Amino acid sequence: MADNAKKTILVVDDEEDVRNFLKIALMEAGFNVITAEDGNVALDKVEEQIPDLISLDLVMPKKSGAMFYRELSKNKKWSGIPIIIVTGHARDDFGKPDLKELTMSGPGIYLEKPVKPTNYIAAIKNILKMDATEEEQETAEMVEMQNTLKNVIDDADPATLRKIKNILDKNKTD
Amino acid sequence: MSKKTKKQQRVDSPRRLNDMIFQELFHQVPFNVAVIDRNYNVVEANRNFTEYFGDWKNKKCYAVYKKLDKPCKDCPSAEVFKKGKAIVADAVGVDQHGRKTHYVGHVFPLRTPGSSKVEYVLEMTRTVTGTRRLQQEYQILFDRVPCYITVIGEDYRIVRANEAFRENFGDVIGQICYKVYKRRKTKCPNCPAAKTFKDGQVHHSTQVGIGKRSQKIHYAVSTSPLMRGGDSIAHVIEICNDITAIKKLEHEVIEAERLGAVGQTVAGLAHSIKNILMGLEGGKYIVSLGLKKDNKEMIDQGWEMLERNFDKTTSLVKDFLSFSKGRLPELVMTKPGDLINEIVDLYKDIAAQSGIELKSDIGTKIKRAPLDPGGIHTCLTNLTSNAIDACLMGEKKGTEVLLQVKESNDKLIFEVSDNGSGIDHKIKKKIFTTFFTTKGGGGTGLGLLTTRKIVQEHGGKILIDSKKDKGTLFRMEFPRKRLMALYKEAK
Repeated sequence: MADNAKKTILVVDDEEDVRNFLKIALMEAGFNVITAEDGNVALDKVEEQIPDLISLDLVMPKKSGAMFYRELSKNKKWSGIPIIIVTGHARDDFGKPDLKELTMSGPGIYLEKPVKPTNYIAAIKNILKMDATEEEQETAEMVEMQNTLKNVIDDADPATLRKIKNILDKNKTD
Repeated sequence: MSKKTKKQQRVDSPRRLNDMIFQELFHQVPFNVAVIDRNYNVVEANRNFTEYFGDWKNKKCYAVYKKLDKPCKDCPSAEVFKKGKAIVADAVGVDQHGRKTHYVGHVFPLRTPGSSKVEYVLEMTRTVTGTRRLQQEYQILFDRVPCYITVIGEDYRIVRANEAFRENFGDVIGQICYKVYKRRKTKCPNCPAAKTFKDGQVHHSTQVGIGKRSQKIHYAVSTSPLMRGGDSIAHVIEICNDITAIKKLEHEVIEAERLGAVGQTVAGLAHSIKNILMGLEGGKYIVSLGLKKDNKEMIDQGWEMLERNFDKTTSLVKDFLSFSKGRLPELVMTKPGDLINEIVDLYKDIAAQSGIELKSDIGTKIKRAPLDPGGIHTCLTNLTSNAIDACLMGEKKGTEVLLQVKESNDKLIFEVSDNGSGIDHKIKKKIFTTFFTTKGGGGTGLGLLTTRKIVQEHGGKILIDSKKDKGTLFRMEFPRKRLMALYKEAK
């Protein structure tokens, strides 16, 4: 955890409580934190200082997370910044198309609100390939597995879903 | 007649005249006339007959009329010979070209004066093939046309009914129409047939009947007078189109829109709840962190966060309840202008205090409409308070909010417009679905969701037109037909 202090995270969320919560959790884990309440402000902040990672909400007024990400990817200096999505709209019609676009084209990982601080920190450390405590490592792996499974289940056709259920049922009886 | 007296000679000339008249009449009369003896021999026939049925001399009547080689069953001549009384009979024969022909025959007995024995019969037949064909065509048309047709007398008894009608309502000739159509004991209110009997005009209406399998049948009915000479209307013809399938589709569309609104709303609510949970999670974390570090400032910050999100839960639950109230709007006949006036009264002072002019424009001749007054009141309140907020956000001077009600293309239209800040194009798309609030922590973002839900439950649509910095117009459109359909359904 020696170099945590050097890493700067930009937290973008329109809800003040969410920003504060994530900010405190990140600071507690030893990160530098800057915040923005929408995509426009976030772009300004990136211009000022390129963060090591952006924690991004999807549905926001003025400039949504997806729009912000599209503009970010257009700029070579910024397109490599890793992104973690923190959203309440992962599985509904408002967020899903955006999320699909984002996960397909880059950032990969997302967390669904409400998030627990340990999961959040573990996921971020995992993306930044930082040393994590054993517990954080385990949590991060678990979160990633959960995400993979969620995606599989969300996209599965009924036949596949039945197969998955059969496997789970079989494991239970074993 | 061997000896002619003077007296006889005097009457002779009128008799000759009679003979002439008879001859002329016999041949010119527009009938096929033939005289037949007791052995079925044709003994005399007029020109028309000969031209129609061909050569008859030394032939049996059945050979001439029908080209048969033995007497017909139910021979009308045989009956006249037997009973001595004239009869009228329908028959099908074959003309001299071998074509099938329908004819009506009048058969009279011919007796020698003073004798009761019928020696000959006189058959006067008239071809009705053309008429019969038309009749058949008409009958097929009447029976097979894809609508219900009944002819009703002044006593509301059904005189005739076509096949389509009989299939769905049973065999009903002679029964009272309202019993048959609706199983009612009394006349239907607004009976279109009664109106036609009264004024002789064509009337239209839509009705719901009960079929013979007790199924509901929606139909659009037109009634026309059936006059047979003279001025009085003895019968009314009712033509009904079965619109049950269309009604069902209409209902399904409204239902699908309703369900769609519910689905989107639930997703919107889920987002609000997730945000609150996130706030609670954060508050909990910060408080426990503060306790661990013995940092009072941090504890306070976390506690405030918890309090704020508990409050949000309360207001969300309140909105939730008002949102879930009654899936069907409670429709009563309402004056649309009254609703606008109520809102103006409610917001006049608030608007004036902020330097905003609140105006209204109520169209003339706006008819009453079945609306849920409470629901529409909520919609107008939401839109008006949004419009006032939009005016405040723009920091413009001379801002105004205009409430309008008008009528266009059989639609009742409410409009709330402002010349305030306008809404960004990209937000416009998600305005009814996302957690969109310009009111800090004050709004739950449910206002527009609720508005849209209420509008859709009325079978209406809500539209938005907005330009950044120019202003916003919200329009609620209610097709009158849909309102009436919902109203009838609710009743």
